[in-house]
Amino acid sequence: MTAKPAPIWPEEPVLDMADIQGIAVPGFFKPYQTLLGVRYTRAPQPIDALKQFLRKLAPDIATAAATLRDRRQHRGATPAAKRAPRSPPLIAIGFSYQGLLGLTPGASEIPSLAFKNGLARRSALLGDPTDPADPGNPVNWKVGQPNKELDILIIIAGNGRAGVARRAHTIERALAGIKAHVIRQDGNVRDDVPGQKGHEHFGFDDGVSQPGIRGRATARATDFITERHIDRSEFPAAALFGYPGQDLVWPGEFVIGYPQTGPDPLIPGPVLAPQPSWTRNGSFLVYRRLRQDVGLFWRTMRAEAARLARLPGFANLDDVELAAKLVGRRLSGAPVNRTPAGDDPALGGDQLANNHFRFDSDTPQLTLVGGKDGFPPAKADPIGSVCPLAAHIRKVNTRDSPSDTGGRSSTYERRILRVGVPFGPSATDRYAVSRSHGPDRGLLFLSIQSSIEEQFEFLQARWMNDDSRPKSPSGNDMVVGQNAPTADGVRRCSIFGSGLQQSAVEATGQFVIPTGGGYFFVPAIGALVSVIAASSPR
Amino acid sequence: MGLLRAYEPPAYMSDFDSIPGQREAWHRFVLESFDLNIQLVAGKLQKLDPSRPATPQFYSAVRSDPPGPLVEQAVVWNAFPKELLRRYGRDRALVEADWLWPLSAYGYNWRYDPGVPADTGAGTPGDIYPDTYLYQPAVEYCQWHIDRNPHSGRIRRVTFTSEPPEYWQAMFGGTLKYSRVRFPGDKKLLLHLYRKLVDPNIALSDLLVAEPFLSPYGKLKKGDYNPHNKWNTTHGIVHLSAPPNAIRAEINLAAVATVLYEDQLNNPVVDPDAFIAGTDMGGPNRNSDPTIAATVNALARAGAMVTLANPVGLYMDHIDVTGWEIPGGLAPRDCVRIVRGEERLIERLVVELPTDEFDVSDIRIGGVPVIYGGQLAECITVKLVGVAAALGSVHNGRLKLSTAGYVDPANAREVYPGERYEIPVGSVPAFIYESGEVVTNASRGRRSRVTSPGGPVR
Repeated sequence: MTAKPAPIWPEEPVLDMADIQGIAVPGFFKPYQTLLGVRYTRAPQPIDALKQFLRKLAPDIATAAATLRDRRQHRGATPAAKRAPRSPPLIAIGFSYQGLLGLTPGASEIPSLAFKNGLARRSALLGDPTDPADPGNPVNWKVGQPNKELDILIIIAGNGRAGVARRAHTIERALAGIKAHVIRQDGNVRDDVPGQKGHEHFGFDDGVSQPGIRGRATARATDFITERHIDRSEFPAAALFGYPGQDLVWPGEFVIGYPQTGPDPLIPGPVLAPQPSWTRNGSFLVYRRLRQDVGLFWRTMRAEAARLARLPGFANLDDVELAAKLVGRRLSGAPVNRTPAGDDPALGGDQLANNHFRFDSDTPQLTLVGGKDGFPPAKADPIGSVCPLAAHIRKVNTRDSPSDTGGRSSTYERRILRVGVPFGPSATDRYAVSRSHGPDRGLLFLSIQSSIEEQFEFLQARWMNDDSRPKSPSGNDMVVGQNAPTADGVRRCSIFGSGLQQSAVEATGQFVIPTGGGYFFVPAIGALVSVIAASSPR
Repeated sequence: MGLLRAYEPPAYMSDFDSIPGQREAWHRFVLESFDLNIQLVAGKLQKLDPSRPATPQFYSAVRSDPPGPLVEQAVVWNAFPKELLRRYGRDRALVEADWLWPLSAYGYNWRYDPGVPADTGAGTPGDIYPDTYLYQPAVEYCQWHIDRNPHSGRIRRVTFTSEPPEYWQAMFGGTLKYSRVRFPGDKKLLLHLYRKLVDPNIALSDLLVAEPFLSPYGKLKKGDYNPHNKWNTTHGIVHLSAPPNAIRAEINLAAVATVLYEDQLNNPVVDPDAFIAGTDMGGPNRNSDPTIAATVNALARAGAMVTLANPVGLYMDHIDVTGWEIPGGLAPRDCVRIVRGEERLIERLVVELPTDEFDVSDIRIGGVPVIYGGQLAECITVKLVGVAAALGSVHNGRLKLSTAGYVDPANAREVYPGERYEIPVGSVPAFIYESGEVVTNASRGRRSRVTSPGGPVR
């Protein structure tokens, strides 16, 4: 009998929690947000006034330390306390390249070409429509269209709509006072349909799978930014995950100046060097205003399910089952791999269980801290017979599977922290045809990463839009992928029937339409004060 | 389904049709490689239980026809060499990937520094391959050649290939290293195709070995076909010639990856990175080999029989032109030509603008001008096509991991395979979370192989 070797636990760095913005670490996950898009005038006096405004705002920007404190208080609170909007809203700020360059010439040294080109210029690379007549083309965007790109994005996030609105109004007034142009966009967690709180507009629980940022808030050995819920007797799972299935990712994937992913997930990779030096503790923020055509999505699911149900191996397939397969999760957030027979809302709502599954191997049971996972474990599904290889969750996170870019480390390198919220009212009839002047609804997609090219853009362009990557035979991401990159404007993917029959699902229409956004740099608070908002010598 | 009658040439290419006996020889050559690898796998499995015959989970569709539905599994990977990305980061990797390295550098592995080749690589005593022949360090089964305007230096054309070297060696005729199959060959056809694909002025002597040398393809004698000839390296490209880029490497990897492994604590080894590093299969820092091995192994763990689909080959699946901006009203599709192979089974692909007014350097991807061939390679997906059959039908035991990979914690960029190569000072066993104890043992056994850049530690 071989003796069990002693586990070697990775030493995680202490992050500069007083300098990093809280939207980046640990991330705002607030149900109510207001985004203020700002365009300022390029002239000495307005710029001086703007810098003065920024210096005044800087103490109100939520630090990583304050945001983590808020989160810990929130998670420790009673259900009643959670509902009470007592903690003040959290504020974050980001600058587009042009917005930053107007305030500090050092912005030109930032190496990211995606950041410098901006979202509208990179839109075609993301698979957005290139036809100017298409509503998703940048010229038709509601915010951030060519020549009207935002300079600054201010995010106000909180537990209550009223508190967020008040704080946003104060900032708007201050910006109006310095003659800056402001575009306001409110985003709210969906709370107008019973049982769907926290779900995106198609109806699926969202944000179930977020990466866990490795790192400590203080020098204390166990003061981890990401909570650990696996018993330390479970090595290596306890070293690899926060919640079961929540990958712990080295902080350099989200914040500049820290170790990134290396070949071995327990050994920190090279430090992402800041360039220029004041970008240390900064991040990049992607904002995409995505309109969702709920009616088209569900009508397509209904029609495709009805067509497939007539084929051998697909009997009784309905729209909800088909949609769940294409997402990879059921409406409740329960992973299809753990619920092959149908939804289990209890599993979907259980953070100790809803992200604990692998694709290529059977998923082991784990000893957990603060509870247990009593649900049936996921079985290996390497060919995608249960959860198709084109399912959205397999497109954006390959978990234990290899991909077109190699082994498991290649998925850690692509992870992003999603901190957005839905906007617009819920659809009352999910099959209804949307009216051209009807209510606008969708997602204010916000993601945090240290490289726009290698993370957000890679996921959208290389994995979601492509019909064979990251694993094949798969197809396009039918939920979020864009039609423009396909040869004939039709998204397709392959799913299995009960007897391993393979059949294609098709979508001619676009369920998700880009309607604006921008690429932003989220500076460290120190850099905001001492570099970006510093008075310019004349 | 019934048995497969014969393996056809890659992408159903018809060059061999005009050579009597050549297609049959190609079939026998591919089948020989399958048979040898099935024997190899059987030999490994025999160690588990010498008393009974093993059931290799790798099979040839010519030899057997497993029951039940067949599930085709294309294994895809990106064409841009990840080894360079890991070692140098993207900016430098784009430069290196367009250059050629001396063949000696391949044997010198991570210690070769293209920045100071005289000190750390080429010409170092003990290297097995010569400096005088070159290869592109693009080891993802896809290589390219750039044609530039000699006056401006701008890129006129980039030619990509995934054609295996064995196909062209076979066209020359004779036998290949490790094979008993004799190809009739046709040197005139070989020359004709070189002239058609690269330059009409090529002479047959340009393609032949002038002086004997040791190559990854064996000891090449005077008058042999030289896969490293200048029209396939410095002056053009016809087929793959970087040492690991070969069809038999593909068959071998697909075969040996069907073997299941466990660590010293009897836990199955399932992590793709730990698996390839701990089993010494292929390159752990590539896009291709870890995903090929891990995909096949996952099918084997699911109890499947696994094979490679006919025609066995290495292919470019597609080139993604999303976000390409081309002047002159040209669409991206106007600038991409499949020259050999077919859609989804592409063997040779050319990117070139059909006008004298603009050239490839005028293409922008996401607003960024193309100045390296590697930027186009980043858009290319390479693949092989596997087939899984009779899922759940085989339940083989697991072998113990045989070796280990190492990582330098001070610069954790790449994995050093402990079995084959010397490793940098200070490196530690990698993937201990999945292979801990065996790695500790391997580390003890391999201590003498640890070296510093520039040579072994005395």
